[in-house]
Amino acid sequence: MKKEEGTVKAATKLILVPTVAASLLALVGCQGSAALGGDHPDDTAKEVVIGSLHPLSGANAADGQQMSFAAQMAVDEINEAGGIESLDGAPLRIESVDTKSEPETAQSEATRLIQEGASALIGSFESGPSANISSVSERNEVPFVMDVAALDSILQQGYKYSFRIQPSGSMMGESSAEYLDQMTKDSGEDVTKVGVLYEQGNYGTAVEKAFANRIEELGMEVPSAISYDPASSDLSTQVQQAVAGGVDVLAVTGYYRDSLLISQAISSIAPEVKAVYGVANGGFDQTQFIDDAPNGGAGYLNANYRLDVTDDRARALSARFDKGFGAPMRASAALSYDAVNVIAEAVEEAASADPQMIRDAISHSDYEPVVVNDGRIDFDETGQNSHAAVSVLQVKDGAIRTVFPNDLAETVYTFPAPPTSAQN
Amino acid sequence: MSTSTAAQAPSVSRRTSTPMAASTVSMRWNWFLLALTAVVGALLPFILTPAELSVAMRVIIFALMGIGWNMMSGFGGMFSFGHAAYFGIGAYTTAFLLLDVGMSPWLGMIVGMAVATAAAVGISYLALRYKVKGAYYALSTFAFAEMLRLFVMGNDGLHRTLGFTVPVLQGDNWGMFQFSADSPNYFWIGTGFLLVALIVSMVFLRSRAGRFTIATRDDEMAAAAIGIPVLRHKLTVTAISAAITAAAGTLYLQFYMFVDPEIAFGHAVSNNAIITAVLGGVGMLWGPLVGAIIVAPLSDLVAALLRNPPEWLALLSGQSGLDIVIYAVILIACVLVLPKGIVGTIVTRSRK
Repeated sequence: MKKEEGTVKAATKLILVPTVAASLLALVGCQGSAALGGDHPDDTAKEVVIGSLHPLSGANAADGQQMSFAAQMAVDEINEAGGIESLDGAPLRIESVDTKSEPETAQSEATRLIQEGASALIGSFESGPSANISSVSERNEVPFVMDVAALDSILQQGYKYSFRIQPSGSMMGESSAEYLDQMTKDSGEDVTKVGVLYEQGNYGTAVEKAFANRIEELGMEVPSAISYDPASSDLSTQVQQAVAGGVDVLAVTGYYRDSLLISQAISSIAPEVKAVYGVANGGFDQTQFIDDAPNGGAGYLNANYRLDVTDDRARALSARFDKGFGAPMRASAALSYDAVNVIAEAVEEAASADPQMIRDAISHSDYEPVVVNDGRIDFDETGQNSHAAVSVLQVKDGAIRTVFPNDLAETVYTFPAPPTSAQN
Repeated sequence: MSTSTAAQAPSVSRRTSTPMAASTVSMRWNWFLLALTAVVGALLPFILTPAELSVAMRVIIFALMGIGWNMMSGFGGMFSFGHAAYFGIGAYTTAFLLLDVGMSPWLGMIVGMAVATAAAVGISYLALRYKVKGAYYALSTFAFAEMLRLFVMGNDGLHRTLGFTVPVLQGDNWGMFQFSADSPNYFWIGTGFLLVALIVSMVFLRSRAGRFTIATRDDEMAAAAIGIPVLRHKLTVTAISAAITAAAGTLYLQFYMFVDPEIAFGHAVSNNAIITAVLGGVGMLWGPLVGAIIVAPLSDLVAALLRNPPEWLALLSGQSGLDIVIYAVILIACVLVLPKGIVGTIVTRSRK
């Protein structure tokens, strides 16, 4: 019995040692990471740090890496042009981190960036992480400029330190409905029924709700609104459901891969629709879509935020990006570029690296973005860029062209544009 | 049934008398470790910066999930692949009651724990009543978590996929379980939860019910033969497990202030609970805490290392996703080298 007790004692001692060792190790490790950080607010006059939080790994890494690259490009350009004049040419610096698409990581990384002296943050492509960064920036009183994040509710919390350049999910849904209405009327076509397909996540849901409501207000019908899981490997059933009973236009909100599946299903089902209309669709306006989709995706329309191709500055930027990054610039990257510039202008105006002063300057920003916008950026009291706008794109002659509204158009749109016309 | 249990009980405790005496000694050590955890927990906010403290919070949440999982799967012997269900119920109940009813998250947490317990007992009852065992039982728990995720995604009252955002209040507010961003209160409350969960586990394992549960896990047929009400003890341990996990869900919600179906009911949640407990040691009281201390900060440590790498690692700088690779390598190594987990291996080695 005594012996037994002894071994147990030894055993528990052995549990104790590694537990303490491990916790000490964790401590030391954490201390180490802080020591690596360096910069603290005292020397901000020499350098202004902007934290950039995007998904650099995982399913959305393609966009995240483009966005991170574009943010760095914007900073390099500003620094080459002499830095922040009102701070005696102080340079900007981007601290780029990976959110891994996880809200928890976004939160701890945002906290770390702020603690290491970031004067402002940009990010983050996805709504979940963005919602968390917003609450961190609000509670630490550091401005956060969202490049891409569609979820409306992020800016419905009364936050003072969060701003969004991109049109919100509901803005995109509403504008898409209005543009569809105008385009069909202008072309003299009669569109009464619109079938809707949307991915079931928060982006698809938010956009679809606003789109369907506005379509009905405009006097059209939505006989079927079908949601789907973007991870599915086949979407034929959903396409069939959405066009069942006959619709004039099929509206689709989704990411790249699922939108491609939908185009394949459409090609095999060959529904009698006048057009396929992307509503803030993440697939129909990618160059890759033309290569992958049946029939080159000819005729597909998509209402989305986009680089303003009528603007020389935007075109030059796109060319530089292509050369530096090695792939065509996505609209998401253009938004990150704009987000950095909004902050840079605010730092210039505030003549300070103080987050609160930068926040005040951002709130009346008058920056002219490279993405399609209704004039200059104008943040309303919630922090939403009220001039944010979408334009309609169409796949024409093997390229993606801006076709509507007319003052931004590169070429005239084709409507009706049945997705199966070339095969018939 | 219950009378026969009472009659059989003395002989059972006589048979286990040796381990009982031994465990009195280990009990003393357990209380010591508990005190140490409390002291470390109380002091950490003074040592760590706010960003490190948010990583430390993740350790606490992982540890709670691991302790919850360990109760049911480690001590109860019912392998769960669906602890996300209870975590999600905790987070969503609190969020719903806070935003739609205006109830304080403290009360919301209690309700969430009650709902999770009821759900866990209900599901387990069905599964055990119809003798769903082993891998099939694990799959049934997984199916239940998935079912809840899909239910929430399609339910308008729960905001479908949009999730809930906890409104930010100014300053510290104990009543609403919300503090300023760099407040140490979150960590202290988390440490408090952790201590309560550990004490509940210790007391339960020492109680008659706990001993019967372990006897049932080790040999269900023998346990039933000597009159232990197997089903009742299995349901009890499941209930405790679900309640602890639901509390972790509330803590998550109040600290991160945002929850959506994927965060609450996704597979990643169940995986984290399992990995934490398995790495630390399944069926070991201190296993989940040790596991959490290693698993939760791993990606941050690797990311920090790669941000400013030492010279011999310079070629790795700027590589995104590398931390996930390292994480995977560590997990594989642990499974191969330490199949009983860290605490389990140490205890076994020392006994030899």
